[in-house]
Amino acid sequence: MSTLVESPPVQIPPPRTKLRTLPIDQTRGIQAVYALICTEATLFLCMFGAYYYLGNNKDRWAIETPPELVYPFVLLAILLSSSAVIHWGEKQVEKGRYGASRAALWFTVLLGLLFLALQGMEYASEWGRLTPDTDSYGSIFYTITTLHAAHVIAGLLLLAYVGFLPHYGFARRSPHMPYQVAARYWHFVDFVWVFIVGLLYVIPHFLVHGHVH
Amino acid sequence: MAETAVASQLTELWETPKTLCGWLGTVDHKELGIRYLVTAFLFLIVGGVESLLVRIQLTHSNMNFLSPEGYNQMYTMHGVTMIFWYAAPILSGFAIYLIPLMIGARDLAFPRLNAFTYWTFLFSGILLYISPFFHQAPHAGWFAYVPYTLTEYSPGVGMDYYALSLILLGISTTGAAINFVVTIFRFRAPGMAISRMPLFAYSTLTISCVIVFAMPALTAACIFLELDRHWGTHFFGIAGGGSTFLWQQLFWFFGHPWVYVIFLPATGMISLIIPAFSRRPVVGYAWIAISTILTGLVGFGVWLHHMFTVGMSDIAMSIFSAGSMTISVFTSIQVLAWLATIWKGRPVATTSMYYAVGSVVMLVIGGLSGVFTGIIPVDWQVHNTYYVVAHIHYVLVGSNVFPVFAGFYFWLPKMTGRMMSEKLGKLSFWVMFIGFNVGFFPMHIIGLMGMPRRIFTYPAGLGFDKWNMVITIGAFVLGVGILISIINLFVSLRSGKLAGPNPWNADGLEWLTDSPPPPYDFEHIPLVASRHPLWDDYDNLDDPDDDRVLDGGRLTTITTWLDAEPIGVATIPEDSLLPLVMSLTLLGFFLAYQFHALWIALALIILTFLAGCAWMWPHTEKEVL
Repeated sequence: MSTLVESPPVQIPPPRTKLRTLPIDQTRGIQAVYALICTEATLFLCMFGAYYYLGNNKDRWAIETPPELVYPFVLLAILLSSSAVIHWGEKQVEKGRYGASRAALWFTVLLGLLFLALQGMEYASEWGRLTPDTDSYGSIFYTITTLHAAHVIAGLLLLAYVGFLPHYGFARRSPHMPYQVAARYWHFVDFVWVFIVGLLYVIPHFLVHGHVH
Repeated sequence: MAETAVASQLTELWETPKTLCGWLGTVDHKELGIRYLVTAFLFLIVGGVESLLVRIQLTHSNMNFLSPEGYNQMYTMHGVTMIFWYAAPILSGFAIYLIPLMIGARDLAFPRLNAFTYWTFLFSGILLYISPFFHQAPHAGWFAYVPYTLTEYSPGVGMDYYALSLILLGISTTGAAINFVVTIFRFRAPGMAISRMPLFAYSTLTISCVIVFAMPALTAACIFLELDRHWGTHFFGIAGGGSTFLWQQLFWFFGHPWVYVIFLPATGMISLIIPAFSRRPVVGYAWIAISTILTGLVGFGVWLHHMFTVGMSDIAMSIFSAGSMTISVFTSIQVLAWLATIWKGRPVATTSMYYAVGSVVMLVIGGLSGVFTGIIPVDWQVHNTYYVVAHIHYVLVGSNVFPVFAGFYFWLPKMTGRMMSEKLGKLSFWVMFIGFNVGFFPMHIIGLMGMPRRIFTYPAGLGFDKWNMVITIGAFVLGVGILISIINLFVSLRSGKLAGPNPWNADGLEWLTDSPPPPYDFEHIPLVASRHPLWDDYDNLDDPDDDRVLDGGRLTTITTWLDAEPIGVATIPEDSLLPLVMSLTLLGFFLAYQFHALWIALALIILTFLAGCAWMWPHTEKEVL
């Protein structure tokens, strides 16, 4: 190969590590999940942005009758404890205790189902005074919470899939990578609910007092 | 290259069988990259024909070639097709084919995801093009402003197909972007530190990050639109407390970063082509890399400049006006670096170089008119006139179509193994260049004269007639120029002379392997010692004890994300039909929803999930290490 230009001398020679001895690297899956979480988080950010954009300069907004606070905090408690459980499960699977981790995973699924049931009850209690076609507030309130519920369902499906995964013949591929992936996604779903509680439920209660016509 | 024992072992591992199942289930990035390129190019032709029909309608005052509604659908489909189904996917096609070769890997990080995003891209295009068969194509321009797109004013199914196909395309685009991010960070050959990465990898990495954070805004906007149209919500209707500007905010928060998504990879290609034909390393490598990243970053802070006429506070407009002009600094850095490269080098006038230089010329014109329209009072004056149409076409043809042709003439010998005809290529370039400038420069003039965009026709006696005639002729000449290149491709496929590994004596790793590359890309994973692996004195393939063959399975190296120190090997999954099945069920879900068969839609989304489970399900592989 002819050298065309006065090519710079090789300053930093490339690493001489032997490739044959290197282990199988499984970390790229979790990295893709982090990217997925980034894009999903942006979807929620856009929704929150829409919430405030629609609420801007409106006489009637959540402030007249802010949503009830009991349900969201109970739901928050459920999700946060489920995060703790799945985190414990992750620690177990890393140590190779598959029985304990599987139990933790299915317990998380149960908590998630409980969340969905309670959110259904919350919707039923709100429905009398607010529906998605009441006005733009109803639209965005139900869209954000339903979008979150859809993410809960997606997270539950992921967890259930990992719950059914066998761990046969995993000489190279331990189940702890899929477990970690599902768990991180579940943490994200839980984390979004923290913001929903803050922005959609708690802050309107403060705004009631600060609002001047 | 003689077929060694190692090569045949690798071929057996990596080759896709030449059967129907093999064709449908392949995860080979080269195969999928070519499919992306072909599909996107077909969309270019479809969108081009639509634009020619639009131009025929506008040739004279008071023409009746198209009906008013037909005209609206035609220019909308032209815009949507070009911006969403041609401009970005064709660059993805280049990236999918070239990035693994450029960085010395054997495939993308997630080959099956790659297959899935290809099929989803194809099916989303098909979904969009179902609507014309109902004579109800989208008809509200590519940015589909509300309230015109709400059911009161757009009762047909056209806008629903618009929203649904864009959501489906968003899934595909996001998947591809995540694939690129992980590939570029983790799959670079040992020694290809981030400071030695080809500039095309920089721009692809930047736009992939941009897509991750911009795409959701479009998805949110389309979800809101669909809910408003069919589920009785009030996001955009003023009567229910909604806001028409919400659509514009969300759309342009996505839309302006998207302009850089279809612009930056093309500049990355120019940054490789110009140095290769100037016979010297690019001037200001670090400057180009940094300004690429900054363009992507600052691109998030300019979206309000599409909305200067809606009535915003002066301070908001000033900030976004300044932001828009800041971008031109970064673009200028790149342009000046390319000019300096030509200036300091010994340029070789090949077709690819013609296209690259031509694109720089038009990019500068489009950039200047962009700075103009970024100035608020000018924007008020020229908003929604043909001046803006001229601007967008100079930027997009200058920074997307011409670089794409430069890329075709540069890399097609690598993909097909055969050279293109230089004579036909240069003819094609001149016809396209003249046609484009004759067709689009007068748009500046009629725009300043006051001709609004998106009008079905115009009365005689306003002085628009003769210019519109010129524009239509130019548009057809441009079409002929593209046709010549297509003919050139087929001639080259039949009888082009063989290219050999490195016909241009270029510097990138992709030129290290055969043309077309073997299924496993590289027999030995290359080692990289500089920015220009083929121009330095280091032998990238030197591997006396066959350590870097990695023939114990479908393997490639994983390196650290900054210094590219090898830290592991990655297993590449085998061919599978399940990505295709999954994107088919996803398409079915959108179709069932469109036809209000909600139970079928539910069943199909469950099937999509099950297909995903089957796709991911672990199976005992051959033990390889």
